[in-house]
Amino acid sequence: MQSTSVYTRDRCVTGIHGLDEILRGGIPHGSTVLAAGTCGSGKTTLAMEFLVRGALAKLPESCAHFTATEPSIKLLENIRQYAFFDMKMIDSGKINVFDMDVLYSWLGLDKASFDLDDVHALIKAIINIVHEIGATRLVIDSVTTLCYKIKSEQLIRDFLFTLGKKLASLGCTTILISEITSATENAHWSSFGVEEAIADGIIVMGDVERMGHLLRFLQVVKMRGTAHSRAKHAIELTPLGVMLTPMLKWGAQHDKTNKVGG
Amino acid sequence: MYSNLTLDDRIAEQLAIDVSLNSAIQVRFGNSNAFNVTASTLVPLMRDHEMGGVYICASVGAAERIEEFKSIGLSDEYISRIQFIDLVSSGILGGTDVEYSNIHFVDSPIMLESVLLRTLYILRMTTSVRNFVFLDSVNALAIYNDERMLAEYLHTFINTFRQREVLSVILNVPDQTPPLVLANLDLYCTDLIDRGQVLIN
Repeated sequence: MQSTSVYTRDRCVTGIHGLDEILRGGIPHGSTVLAAGTCGSGKTTLAMEFLVRGALAKLPESCAHFTATEPSIKLLENIRQYAFFDMKMIDSGKINVFDMDVLYSWLGLDKASFDLDDVHALIKAIINIVHEIGATRLVIDSVTTLCYKIKSEQLIRDFLFTLGKKLASLGCTTILISEITSATENAHWSSFGVEEAIADGIIVMGDVERMGHLLRFLQVVKMRGTAHSRAKHAIELTPLGVMLTPMLKWGAQHDKTNKVGG
Repeated sequence: MYSNLTLDDRIAEQLAIDVSLNSAIQVRFGNSNAFNVTASTLVPLMRDHEMGGVYICASVGAAERIEEFKSIGLSDEYISRIQFIDLVSSGILGGTDVEYSNIHFVDSPIMLESVLLRTLYILRMTTSVRNFVFLDSVNALAIYNDERMLAEYLHTFINTFRQREVLSVILNVPDQTPPLVLANLDLYCTDLIDRGQVLIN
């Protein structure tokens, strides 16, 4: 009988309950993953837990979080309600949180829109920080807010492609949070339409409406380098972190809409 | 005898023979003996089998259920070994304003996946080694949920807890439960406690 061996890429084990099973072991190492979701769907919590699990791993990883949607103080206050998070991880430098506004000021990028030079300066700064702290897990929350400053679609494409390539070369697995207004099957997973094409993976998060109640869901629609489930999973944001279970098939039949206003 | 309620000892005897942690027991009763049969199932599991766990309240609010258990003499120590998931009270104005810290609220009985995840979360937090999950009751869930979805849910529910060696106890009034759900329960459950045939003169 002919033996076959299957090549599998090294994985970044997210440590998130159920997600690694969906991804058959985790996110392929060095990938750039778009976490696209409607407001209140749990994107920031998922991303922060991704960093925390890395910091708490047997071989602890250094982690970085760039926040553009809310000040870091507010982010940390909100995340402190979760039992999986401990401020000591921030104090000890296992998780490093950076305000994008501060970074912009530092780079002299206090302006409404970025040109090519600005984008390259921003990429260089992010890469330098990741290299400096040896980060192997990175979150940018959100890439949508960041890309609002980049006016050309081509420039957004260059920015994301170059950033993703350089982060991969540093062995850094990245989650880019994308804010979307609808998570229906026909929706774009990103505001500018280019993020989803460049990302190695796309995790969609949203709400299913069932008889007037909103049920959070998560669905991996794309992940290069691994087989994965593409089923819709119901999620709960518990003090222990994100928990997932497959969504009831007959329940999905009853969905009227997945759309949630911002 | 438990205060003012005579427990059905035959249920305790049946549980002594049949119960294992990966069992799924369907408990059938009628309208008139619902609480008696429920208590007669719960008490021996806690007293004789030293179990704790999760009690999902879809038929009455958790605070009301706790008061009923207290009224028959179930001790605070026993009550504290149970975490209650209340699917009823969020739909009642002021219903979630209760004094018990071991009650968790889910917005609605149609949030079936949330109930499952909340139960799994509680079981991850519990210190009890031998655990049960009481689902009270299938007929109450059938008021709100499509029968195909409910049948699918019970299939997932029972297998999820069987895999984790958590005893499922599924309470049910059969004549208020859709035939498809009933047929599936018969198929998935490993054991049956049948007190559904109640004659009223």
